[in-house]
Amino acid sequence: MAEDNIKMAIKDLDVYYYERLVLKKVNMVFRNRELTAIVGPSGCGKSTLLMALTRLLDTVPHARVEGSVELRSNDQGWLNVFRLGETDLPSLRRRVGLIFQHPNVLNTSIFKNVAFPLRLLGLSRQEIDSNVRAALIDVFLWDEVRDRLDSPASELSGGQQQRLCLARTLVLQPEILLLDEPTSFLDEDLAGKIENLLIRLKEERTVVVVSHYNDQVLRLSDRVYRLAGNQQESN
Amino acid sequence: MIAKHNKERAAKGALSLALLIAGSISAFIFFFLLYFSLPILSSGLIGEFLTRGWDPDRGVLGILPMIVGTVYIAGLAVIWVTPIGIGLAAFIQLFAPKPLGRILRWTVEFMTGIPTVVYGFAALFFLVPAMRRIFNYGTGLSVLTASVMLALLVLPTVTLIAQDGLATVPSNQVLAAFSLGASRMETFLHVVLPGAWRGLISAVVLGVGRAVGDTLIALMLAGNAVALPDSLLDSARTLTAHIALVSAADYESLSFKAIFVCGLVLFIFAGSNIVFLRLVEKLKK
Repeated sequence: MAEDNIKMAIKDLDVYYYERLVLKKVNMVFRNRELTAIVGPSGCGKSTLLMALTRLLDTVPHARVEGSVELRSNDQGWLNVFRLGETDLPSLRRRVGLIFQHPNVLNTSIFKNVAFPLRLLGLSRQEIDSNVRAALIDVFLWDEVRDRLDSPASELSGGQQQRLCLARTLVLQPEILLLDEPTSFLDEDLAGKIENLLIRLKEERTVVVVSHYNDQVLRLSDRVYRLAGNQQESN
Repeated sequence: MIAKHNKERAAKGALSLALLIAGSISAFIFFFLLYFSLPILSSGLIGEFLTRGWDPDRGVLGILPMIVGTVYIAGLAVIWVTPIGIGLAAFIQLFAPKPLGRILRWTVEFMTGIPTVVYGFAALFFLVPAMRRIFNYGTGLSVLTASVMLALLVLPTVTLIAQDGLATVPSNQVLAAFSLGASRMETFLHVVLPGAWRGLISAVVLGVGRAVGDTLIALMLAGNAVALPDSLLDSARTLTAHIALVSAADYESLSFKAIFVCGLVLFIFAGSNIVFLRLVEKLKK
């Protein structure tokens, strides 16, 4: 890999469900401190691609990937994501955070949703409290939920759940942030605020956004990849 | 349109009839047991009947040893089978590679079709001598032997229902946990288990019902002694085995009439199980 600021490189990635090819020869690079947009019509495989990058496709029966996804690692050079063993996957998913298109809050309280990944890391109660608060402030949710942190997360509106899921990933401070339609449940005002947050986030990490809003893509992105059919069309 | 309406009415009628027949049979069995239990229930001796031993030659017709034998054997079987059944269900659902999971599920489903007597025979040839050798005590026909084999018999029921319970946890929650860096075990402990506990309770309760209701395993492997067992290596008799043994030997005596109360006790237990399951179902909603 020649360029120093490449954080992730996808090479000749094919994804199959059973024997059906759903993504063909995808080649992309995601750079540090850049926001990359992936666009394309519904069903072209954008979400599948993000799942493949985090090895979450492993959990989908009959899904299979070929090719390679390389992740830059400060001390180990390049890491082939597809060669990682089961025990390395939690670490990969903490480094490459994925926010799904449809909010998937855990069936627990608002606080515990955001605290969940931190508890897995064994952080102290104080650290968890301050990190949860900071993440909820970052996604403009703190003022709306500060008085009901113990309420079920499922009682939040779709837009609030989407921001909660974003906060839950942000507390891990991933090196790469993959966002699947991050503003689809938000009104114009909140969408603008989240866009500003993404711009701020890209200053210190790699951000990849799947979007079908062309104006959003033009506004935000440093680089655009287009998927059409099951193939990458251009960049 | 009219033909479709008639078909729907016919199907509804057939289902209602099936429900009526099933309900009537259950009610008939209950009243049949109650009627034949009346001599003991109305004699004012029910307390003694439930708290004394069984010695018909001396006119003592208590079923306490059988109640204790049932609680010991079925209770122990449930203690063995609960962690193994739920563990196996979790392995199939979450941990095993998909092909292995499918093979294990087929195997467990196959186990449900094996006749109980086959389990009993296998245990007589392998488990009973092994228990005799390991503990160097008695014949090997004991509470422990029967409970171990009963656990194996109940294992498919608990495993299959537990796995169905685990499968009710939405896959997006599991994906969310994975995406946040949870390992499979952490996802199981923090997301799947809390989301599926009602299904797991259903599995255990149905397992208890199956264990209490089984006759052959206890009859073949528990030794059938009419005494309160002092240890797990002692022989014991369950209520179901008692009914089978007494009804096979004698049709006229008072002891034969007394076993209807055993049947009534089992029936009430089964009814309580169903009520408990309904309550758990309500909690699910």
